[in-house]
Amino acid sequence: MNHQTRVYESIFEMLPNVDNPSPLVRINRLNPNADFLLYAKLEWKNPFGSLKDRAAWYMMKALEESGELSEKRGFVEPTSGNTGISLAGLAGARGYPMRSVVPNKVPMEKKLLLKIMGSQLDVVNDELCPAPGLGEGSINLAKTHARASSDRYVMPNQYENEHNVQAHEETTGPEIMRQTEGKVTHVFVTLGTCGTVTGLGRYFREHKPDVKIYAIQPTEGHDVPGLRNISQLGVSKLFDPSLIHEIMEVDYELAYTRALDLCRHEGLLAGPSAGLVFEGALRVVGQEAVGHGVMIFADDVFKYTSNMAKHIPSLMEDTSPK
Amino acid sequence: MAEYAHAEVLVTTDWVKENIGKPGIKFVEIDVDTTQYDAGHIPGSIAFNWQTQLQDQIRRDIISKAEFEKMLGGAGISNNDIVILYGDNNNWFAAYGFWLFKMYGHKDVRLMNGGRQKWLNEPDKPLTTDPTHTSPTTYTAASPDLSLRAFVRDAMEASGSGSVNLVDVRSPAEFTGEIIAPAGMTETAQRGGHIPGAKSVPWSIAVQENGAFKSADELRKIYFEDKGVDPNKPTIAYCRIGERSSHTWFVLKYLLGQNNVKNYDGSWTEYGNLISAPIEKP
Repeated sequence: MNHQTRVYESIFEMLPNVDNPSPLVRINRLNPNADFLLYAKLEWKNPFGSLKDRAAWYMMKALEESGELSEKRGFVEPTSGNTGISLAGLAGARGYPMRSVVPNKVPMEKKLLLKIMGSQLDVVNDELCPAPGLGEGSINLAKTHARASSDRYVMPNQYENEHNVQAHEETTGPEIMRQTEGKVTHVFVTLGTCGTVTGLGRYFREHKPDVKIYAIQPTEGHDVPGLRNISQLGVSKLFDPSLIHEIMEVDYELAYTRALDLCRHEGLLAGPSAGLVFEGALRVVGQEAVGHGVMIFADDVFKYTSNMAKHIPSLMEDTSPK
Repeated sequence: MAEYAHAEVLVTTDWVKENIGKPGIKFVEIDVDTTQYDAGHIPGSIAFNWQTQLQDQIRRDIISKAEFEKMLGGAGISNNDIVILYGDNNNWFAAYGFWLFKMYGHKDVRLMNGGRQKWLNEPDKPLTTDPTHTSPTTYTAASPDLSLRAFVRDAMEASGSGSVNLVDVRSPAEFTGEIIAPAGMTETAQRGGHIPGAKSVPWSIAVQENGAFKSADELRKIYFEDKGVDPNKPTIAYCRIGERSSHTWFVLKYLLGQNNVKNYDGSWTEYGNLISAPIEKP
C-alpha cells in the first residue's frame, strides 16, 4: 500500500491510522478568534464514511483473532447507523453475515444504507412508557439474537467493548498529535458509546496531559442520531468522566443550524453531530484568548438530509415545481 | 420482612430454568413487541400474540370463553397445568394474560418475576429460536369472573365518589394530558387527561431496576402511604388499553392481598373517546 499514490490492494488498507490519518481542515470564515486555531478532523473521509470505522475495525480484528467469525457466523449489533454501516462494510468485504438493530428514529438514509450494504435490519420502537431497568430495545434485541442464535451471530457490543476505546487511543490520538505537531491544546468530541472520548482521554493523559478534552452533549429529548445526553449514558460501560475537562450542553437544534453554517461557509459537508461539536468549540474559542483546537467531525451530512429538512423546514422551499 | 400476600403466583428466573421441560408446566411468552419471541425465547415456551389472539378480532373485547378454550387447547395447555407467563416491558402483557387466565378460571397461573428482561440480563439463562412442538388438548374454561373486570360505568361511578380508589397507572405525561399515548403506540384517544378523581400511580413504581417487583413492605408503603390508595376501599386500575393496569392490578391483588381490585381494560382509549365524559386536565 502507498498512501502517497493512494493505491490499495483492499479496502482494509484504507482504514485510518497514524500513517493514513483522516484529514484536519482549518475553520476560516466561521472562527472569530484569529489566535485560537480551530481544525476539524474529517472522519467522513474514512472508507465507510464515519468515525465508527475505527471502532468497527478494532472490534472485528479482535473477534477474528479469537476465531469468532466465519462465513456462517457474523455480527449482530445495536447501532444508530454508523457502527452498523462500518461493520457491514467490513463484514461484506470479508464474507461475514451482518445484522443491525436500530431504533426507529434513525434516519431513513441510514436504514437504507445498511440494507444497501447487505445488512439484515431490525427496527425497534424505543420510546415506550418509561420503565425501570429496561435498557434500550435495540440493545436488548441484539443481545437476544446473540444469545439465541449464537451459531449465527456474535455481538461486538460497542457500548462495552474495550477495543472501541483502544481504537481511538491507538489511532485518533496519535494522528492528532502528529498532525498538529504536538501543538494541540483543546479537543472537542461528542458522547455516544464514549469510545472516542475515553480513548482520546487516555492517550492525552499519557502523552500530553494539559490537553483539555471537551465533551459536547445535546439537550435532553434531542434528535441527533448517534449522540447521547448524559442522562442516556447508562448503557455505556466506557464512560470515564475523570478524563474529561468539561461536559458542555448545547441546544440540539443548534446541531442542525451549525451544520448548515459549516456546509455553506466553510465547504465542510458536516452532519448534525459535527454541528453540535462546532457550537461547543465556538463557545470555548470565544472565552479563551489562544489555543489550537481539534474538533472530531464524526460524519457528513448526506445521511441526514431528511433530518436537516425536518429541523430546518425552509430547506424544503423551492424543491417542487411551483 | 413481610411476604407477598400470594407469593405462590410468582416464580423466579432460577425456578424457571430448573423447571424447563418438566411435565405439567407450560411456559407462555406474551410481549408488547410480538417479534421478540421469534428472536429468542425460553426453550419449550410458546407465545400468545396480544393483538391477534388475546382480543376479539371483531368487536373491542377480550376473547370469548370458547376462543380462550380453543387457544389453550390448541397450545397444548390442560386445565391442571401450571402456566408460567413472562414477557417484555416488565411483564406488561404477561400480566394482562394473567388477568385473562384468572378471568377464565385457570387454577394455577403464575408470573415469572422480572420477565423477559431479567432473563436476558442473566447470562446463565438459555434462549433459543427452536420452535416448540405441542399436542392439542381439550381445555375447559369457567365463565368469566367479572369481579376482576371494571367497565366504563364502574369507572364513572367510582370517579369522584370517594368510595373507590381510582388508580391511573400511565406515565405522568399521559396523566396530565401532555401526551395521549406513548410515542409509536397506535391505539389512542381523541382527548388527553385523566378520569376526575383518579390518582396518578405509574405502574413502574412497583418495579426494581432488575425488572422484578419491589418487596411487599416497599409496595405497601408506596401504594398505601405515599400514594394514598386506601386499603379499606375497592380499587379500579386503568391505563391506556388495559395492559399496564393489569400489572398494577396484579400488584394490588396478589402481592398486597387487596380483595376487591378490578382492571378497567377499556381504559383511556375508551374513556378518552366518550362524548361529554368529564375529564380532568392537567
